[in-house]
Amino acid sequence: MSLLAEVWEAVRAIGQGMAAVNRRVGESAVTEFYPYQKPEIPPVSVQFLALIQNEDGSDRCVSCLACERACPSQVITIERKRNPAGKGFVLERFDLDFVNCMHCANCVEVCPVSAIVTVGDFEHAVYDVNMLKADKAFLDEIGRRAQVWYSPKFGVEIRKPDGSIEKAPPEMQPGGLAELLAGEEGA
Amino acid sequence: MRGPTQILPTDRADEMLINMGPQHPATHGVLKVVIGLEGERVTRAVPHIGFLHRNHEKIEEARTYPQIITYTDRMDYVSGLQNELPFILAVEDLLGVEVPDRAKYLRVIFFELYRLASHLVWLGTGMLDFGAITPFLYTFRDRERILEIVEKTAGARMLPNYFTFGGVRRDVHPDFFKDVADFLDFFEKRLPDYYALVLDSPVFQARAVGVGVLPKERAIARGASGPVLRASGVAYDVRKAEPYDAYPEIEFEVPVREEGDVYARFWVRFKEMEESIKIIRQAIEKTPKVGPYKGKVPARMKVKGSRYRAVEISRGHLGAHVVGDGTDRPYRIKHRSPSFANLQLIPDLLVGARFADAIAILSSLDPVFGEVDR
Ligand code: SF4
Ligand code: SF4
Repeated sequence: MSLLAEVWEAVRAIGQGMAAVNRRVGESAVTEFYPYQKPEIPPVSVQFLALIQNEDGSDRCVSCLACERACPSQVITIERKRNPAGKGFVLERFDLDFVNCMHCANCVEVCPVSAIVTVGDFEHAVYDVNMLKADKAFLDEIGRRAQVWYSPKFGVEIRKPDGSIEKAPPEMQPGGLAELLAGEEGA
Repeated sequence: MRGPTQILPTDRADEMLINMGPQHPATHGVLKVVIGLEGERVTRAVPHIGFLHRNHEKIEEARTYPQIITYTDRMDYVSGLQNELPFILAVEDLLGVEVPDRAKYLRVIFFELYRLASHLVWLGTGMLDFGAITPFLYTFRDRERILEIVEKTAGARMLPNYFTFGGVRRDVHPDFFKDVADFLDFFEKRLPDYYALVLDSPVFQARAVGVGVLPKERAIARGASGPVLRASGVAYDVRKAEPYDAYPEIEFEVPVREEGDVYARFWVRFKEMEESIKIIRQAIEKTPKVGPYKGKVPARMKVKGSRYRAVEISRGHLGAHVVGDGTDRPYRIKHRSPSFANLQLIPDLLVGARFADAIAILSSLDPVFGEVDR
């Protein structure tokens, strides 16, 4: 009798498990067609870093060295020289070693002019590790390609098709909630 | 040199030594356990750790305070965000920084989201150890939803570097509260399935009830914490014992069970997931809809004094002892990590158990090696 009870218990257990599994059979399956269909990446996602240039093609960066000092892995190297025309400094060299970068975005947080930003551009796997040692031209190029980017100072910004840069609508902004709520109350 | 953990080849004809790990699929991460077997019975078990040692505390002593937060994330990478909090709380205390209400509640929401994510990983991989593959596929899909919610706001999935001194780094995405509420509704419907597949399944119970019993005194003596301790009948939870952030204003229970076996440890974690859902619901309700998310922090952080703060992460009592000497870098940082202490229980629990149960016991301890080795 006890053997029968044990067999019955085992059958019941399997049935219970199968029932739980069966509840999921009808659920919609998801297949990602990755190289053909890019996944949607939230605008604040830290996938890569880029240097942003102004609409007229000049550097936003004012060579203040804040990012170099804030980086925990110390992978940013900046060299600057006095601006021959006017005050301040201009960049001579801006190297970022992505091999050791932790994508923590501390550098983005301290930048006073939102020159270094995070972008959702994630396809930067390479065969040679040396290719990840980025220089200024490379970072500028990623910045020129980027359509949306994020920095805590200016929030999410988007590049319009005509090349002008503007702030993204509050639905895309972290902290856009307050603005949206204020809008609702006003309406 | 013969250290205390070194095991020489056995001279007993009836004992066999097995090296489990560091790359064994049934050890979580890079744990190596040398197990002596006499037939099916484990006669001795010695854990070897250190394969993932990165010199965490020393690196942190060479960094400035804001830089260190990034490193704390990387201890317990399964529940990444939770690790930032003890260090941040300690420094906030030393600096006298006020945290706004909204930030406190946001921290609680994220903290508990990561507890859910971490327990889901544990459930999936733990059941893999038991030989059940299906729960793994389900739990990781559910966890994915949590990580997506976190990524929308914090910018990264596992190591988001999101908490900061005085609050959180940025305000949440406009959809955040709706996303979280949706997820909780969804997850509440999922939980009965996990109960059916794991906890209530007689097949699982046959392997878990009465296995790896940890008596209360042993658990306390070895400094166990978290679900391992609570499954042995000690109602110790840092969230209740030394409440931090918004936890004093939130009602929740601490699940405790007396048996101390593998089943009890699974049970406690299951109930904790239910409690987390309750906590997040309350926190969402109580979070001020607008308001500052970050308090005022001095631009130049010069920290002086010493302070120990602890939080209850998914695995137990995680503490940080910060000693500042008035410069912008800490003089000393010490992390007290729960998995490391829980791992000392291996000889206690494994000796005398059957070899197949040894793997079940290991998975019920749920160690994460980033945090054991630091
Ligand atoms: S993301 Fe972090 S590690 Fe990378 S360059 Fe910026 S500060 Fe340094
Ligand atoms: S913090 Fe910004 S402005 Fe300053 S050097 Fe770095 S990128 Fe340039």
